[in-house]
Amino acid sequence: MTDLADLSLTEAVDAVRNGDATATELLDACLANIDAANPQVNATIWLDREGASAAARAADAAVRDRKPLGKLHGIPLAHKDMYYQSGKPCTCGSALRRDFVPDVTATVIERMAAAGAFTFGGLNMAEFAQNPTGHNAHYGDCHNPWNLPYITGGSSSGSGAGVASRFTYAALGSDTGGSIRLPASACGVTGIKPTQTRVSRAGVMPLSFSHDNVGPLARTARDCARVLGVIAGHDPRDPTSARIAVPDYEAGLDGDLRGLRIGLPTNHFRDDADAEVLAAVERATEVLAARGATVHRIALPHMDAVLAYGGIVSRVEGAAIHARWMREAPQDYAVHLSARLYGGYAIPGAYYVESLSRRGPILKAFAAEVFSAVDVLATPTIRFCLPTLADTDIDKGPPGTEKRFMAVSDYTRPFNYLGLPAVSLPCGFDANGLPIGLQIAGRPFAEARILRVADAYQRDTDWHRRRPPVLAAR
Amino acid sequence: MDDFLSRTEAMIAAWHGIAAPNEPARRMAADLASTIAAFEAVRDLPRFEDEPSSFEAALIETMEQPQ
Repeated sequence: MTDLADLSLTEAVDAVRNGDATATELLDACLANIDAANPQVNATIWLDREGASAAARAADAAVRDRKPLGKLHGIPLAHKDMYYQSGKPCTCGSALRRDFVPDVTATVIERMAAAGAFTFGGLNMAEFAQNPTGHNAHYGDCHNPWNLPYITGGSSSGSGAGVASRFTYAALGSDTGGSIRLPASACGVTGIKPTQTRVSRAGVMPLSFSHDNVGPLARTARDCARVLGVIAGHDPRDPTSARIAVPDYEAGLDGDLRGLRIGLPTNHFRDDADAEVLAAVERATEVLAARGATVHRIALPHMDAVLAYGGIVSRVEGAAIHARWMREAPQDYAVHLSARLYGGYAIPGAYYVESLSRRGPILKAFAAEVFSAVDVLATPTIRFCLPTLADTDIDKGPPGTEKRFMAVSDYTRPFNYLGLPAVSLPCGFDANGLPIGLQIAGRPFAEARILRVADAYQRDTDWHRRRPPVLAAR
Repeated sequence: MDDFLSRTEAMIAAWHGIAAPNEPARRMAADLASTIAAFEAVRDLPRFEDEPSSFEAALIETMEQPQ
């Protein structure tokens, strides 16, 4: 019998709509995988089985009663544990918020619920979304379902591992320096960081308000398009959200890449990369070229400034938001987090202002030069084959471990400062059996285009359909 | 480097009332020297003529047009 949890999100929606499966059956399939594999993967922080069961029964009743059904009707979902849901726990992966129960609900959760989805749990994450590996000193490290001693990527570690392990059909992550794309890459799933301002952040734990983004991880580009179409758009509760119309992302998924110009960067995004990773990305562009795209080498301008300024913005904003707890309860943070926050307090205000004031002009200069020559950029998501949790454990490792730890996000951080949309999707496996991710980035608000590229690639490959060994016994 | 770290720790304590929580924090604070170097390497890129600037406006100005 087919495991219902193997269905993609959009397939599962169709199954419920057509009467081929019930929401209750979908939930049971997800929970069965959690019961079987979560002891090894550790992707969840809390589950609400009773509440989810009631929601599933209500969804099934709506189908029986022939009520109007939303685009996510009957789909059980779990999210990174930093999305506020009134009356439900929200730990933010931290000890400091272990008992926090918000009295508001995030706009994105409300929009998904209005589309028919229901939430059944909170997923593991880096403490306060502040590491790129998936370590968590308070709830236990999240483990890669493809090879358990290895990192899942972070900070949305449980979102990546949970989607890969068929615990949930999709999961919201958040991305301030790569935190959606890194776990998507490391766990062999698809994840999109939208354009800065594309998705509301109301009711979402803040980290660095200039760089924070909300977006989905799912098994396919089409699934991401479905979820993004539900959550994107202006929100009066988030005055920073853009008043730009949301296109029908799924309508553009036609596999046609004729005329598309793909840029392969010749600087930064090849620096210190593993040959195995670069080769996988080059092969991926050949697949895209077979659908009519052309591939061009391109030198990216202003990368030194993007990296220098971007790091300052994230560190200062992260430090500012944690100042009170760093004064009053620094011992309640994991070592790697308090260590990282600490330096942020020494960065001068003039550096921060200069970094922010240059952001618009740099984006304009970057876009004018790059996107006149190519339509999208293709890069590795993570520059090297995945390290183990032990190799990147600052809390227990030798001096210097922090450099290996931070290098995980070298190829994702630039697009946060630039505010550009970027999607990561699987494009192969390394010698350790771990996924390699392809990152596609585009102009501001080019989510439809980069999802079309990702979908086209997934029409010709099956990396995204493979099941991790942790599920092999099922 | 020890002098740089000492001055950095003193400044953080004075301005924020926060002490180094652990040894990795001190190592990362010492590494701010590389942050300064990276910043100085791109210093003076700002021009008076660039202000006022708006990142949100730049997003709109450079955005993808309907296909």
